[in-house]
Amino acid sequence: MAHPGSDPITLEELENWLIARVGEYVPDLEEAVDPHQELGEYGLDSVAVVAFTADVEDWLGVQVEPTAVWDHPTIAQLAKFLLEGRDQAGTA
Amino acid sequence: MRTSVFAREVDAWSAPGGPFDPALLTAHDEAETFPAEACAALDRWGLPDYYVPSRFGGRLARLDEVHALLRTVASRDLTVAVAHGKTFLGAASVWTAGDGETAASLARHIMAGQAVAWGLTEPGGGSDLLAGELTAARDGTGWRLTGRKWPVNNATRGRFVCVLARTDPGGGPRGFSVFLVDKRATAPGTVRHLPKMPTHGIRSADISGVEFLDARIPADALVGRVGEGLELVLKSLQLTRVACVALSLGAGDHALRIARRFLSERRLHGRPFSELPHARTVAGRSVARLLLAEAVSRTAARAVHEVPQELSAVSAITKALVPTLVQGQLRLVGELLGARGFLTGVEGYGGFAKVERDHQIVGIFDGSTWVNRSALASSLPALRPGRRQATRVGPPVHEWLREEHEPAPLDPHRLGVMARDNTVLGSLGDLVARLATDAPRGADRLAARLLEAQSELDGHIAALRPTAGPPPTATMRLAERYEWCHAGAAALALWVANPRHHDRDWWRDGLWLRGCLTLVLEGLGASPPGAADVFDELGSLLLGDAGDRVSLFGMPAEVSA
Repeated sequence: MAHPGSDPITLEELENWLIARVGEYVPDLEEAVDPHQELGEYGLDSVAVVAFTADVEDWLGVQVEPTAVWDHPTIAQLAKFLLEGRDQAGTA
Repeated sequence: MRTSVFAREVDAWSAPGGPFDPALLTAHDEAETFPAEACAALDRWGLPDYYVPSRFGGRLARLDEVHALLRTVASRDLTVAVAHGKTFLGAASVWTAGDGETAASLARHIMAGQAVAWGLTEPGGGSDLLAGELTAARDGTGWRLTGRKWPVNNATRGRFVCVLARTDPGGGPRGFSVFLVDKRATAPGTVRHLPKMPTHGIRSADISGVEFLDARIPADALVGRVGEGLELVLKSLQLTRVACVALSLGAGDHALRIARRFLSERRLHGRPFSELPHARTVAGRSVARLLLAEAVSRTAARAVHEVPQELSAVSAITKALVPTLVQGQLRLVGELLGARGFLTGVEGYGGFAKVERDHQIVGIFDGSTWVNRSALASSLPALRPGRRQATRVGPPVHEWLREEHEPAPLDPHRLGVMARDNTVLGSLGDLVARLATDAPRGADRLAARLLEAQSELDGHIAALRPTAGPPPTATMRLAERYEWCHAGAAALALWVANPRHHDRDWWRDGLWLRGCLTLVLEGLGASPPGAADVFDELGSLLLGDAGDRVSLFGMPAEVSA
């Protein structure tokens, strides 16, 4: 599931990838994943959400503090934060 | 100050008329009154100094030291260890946050003998930290607290109570903060104690509650930053979970002391009880459980210093497994003692029923076995094999588990909320290879089977993804298997790390290692050959001189002054 680390990635791509992950983690979800809804409301509690960052790290190839999801609790906020961080950190 | 000196002190205090006299402690237990004499003796000796990190003026520099001290207390009376050691738990968030002023002030109070309680749970809240409803609202420069914490150890006796409070009405992982409340500094009528609860074990401990009625507390009661509460508590729990398994080891010591005496005194059909193979096997199995519990605990106490970034996983494994191992050990000792174990009045054996009752609390407090196992299960996706090995830094596990190794300084800033690696388990392949060069009596075959089990487990973990809600049963089972594999790796690492011990007591012919690996494989559902023999050998050794101290390293000779 690794993303080709050196390719530029757009905010939209990142959001869509995160939306697909939430869809995968919460298979019983009946509505579309809303990028402005807090992840906790999908039943991803504080620990599950933290394990989420392992997937993000593997895909983006950057180290992400697990608490980033607590500080940026919606997909839209998280995507924006990750993209900014990735621009600063470069790719791994 | 020396731990062995402390052990002798505690022995001396256990004489008739002393503060640890079993008759006195049994009377407290029956009357459900606090063991104040024993706690005062520990205060006079200076045990509270070991709850305070050296950088704040205390003597806490090494987790293995406070471990040895608490184990010693617990091996005499578990209730006293619970009642006194609680301050370590209550204060941990303050050390983790590392605020200079608050920490320095609390350090002075603790070393002067003040108790600190830790208020996490609330009536009806269970173990979900984010369900807490005790609220802190801003009031000028300070705060107002409203709500209850219950049940809380030392809630009434502790002058200080460290609470997790909701600071954002919406809650969530950034909606809570930690406050250190000095009950004496609150206005009359704003703090009310909730009565002591009758409990099945640790009956003389102060298990009560505290209620805040719009209690005003100053700005400097805030520990860390606003919204940092969950993070601070999760990190502090990693330290306290490692520390409090020392109580299980002490309970295990106590039970084996009783078992050893029973085996040497009792006769059946004119023969010493110890000549019965079944009795020896049961005793040996109970020894192996304690030694495996010690191996896991010791590894965790060193991991605190060496791989703190992995402690969220290591502490959860340790807290899930060690009390469970010891609870099983106590059951075996109970089986040996038969009726004796339940006759409270029989000279010398009456202590068993109490230790068995008391110990049940260790598996519950600071997060139950289930809570810890589900925390591990939820974080297994982050421990997928092969994710992080390339970035391992620092000495290898068989280096930092050497007895003489000087642990890296305690640094709470290196703790994290999610482990990305498990160096101990990740070293299993390397450790098995190292063992093969000089393997005692079939230990290599046991280790090879453990490695097979671990690679099968890795395959399952590789496919795991985070899930919403509580972990599914299948993931909980994987977490349990992960705990056993970790325990086996810890035992193997200790063996490889300490060749100087290989010809001593429990180490000779790899006896303890074979016993521990056998238990691990049984835990993983395999039935390794030769199990009965290895437990028989361990049981025989319990009756010899080595049985006086069932421990891998004995009492550490010295703790930092």
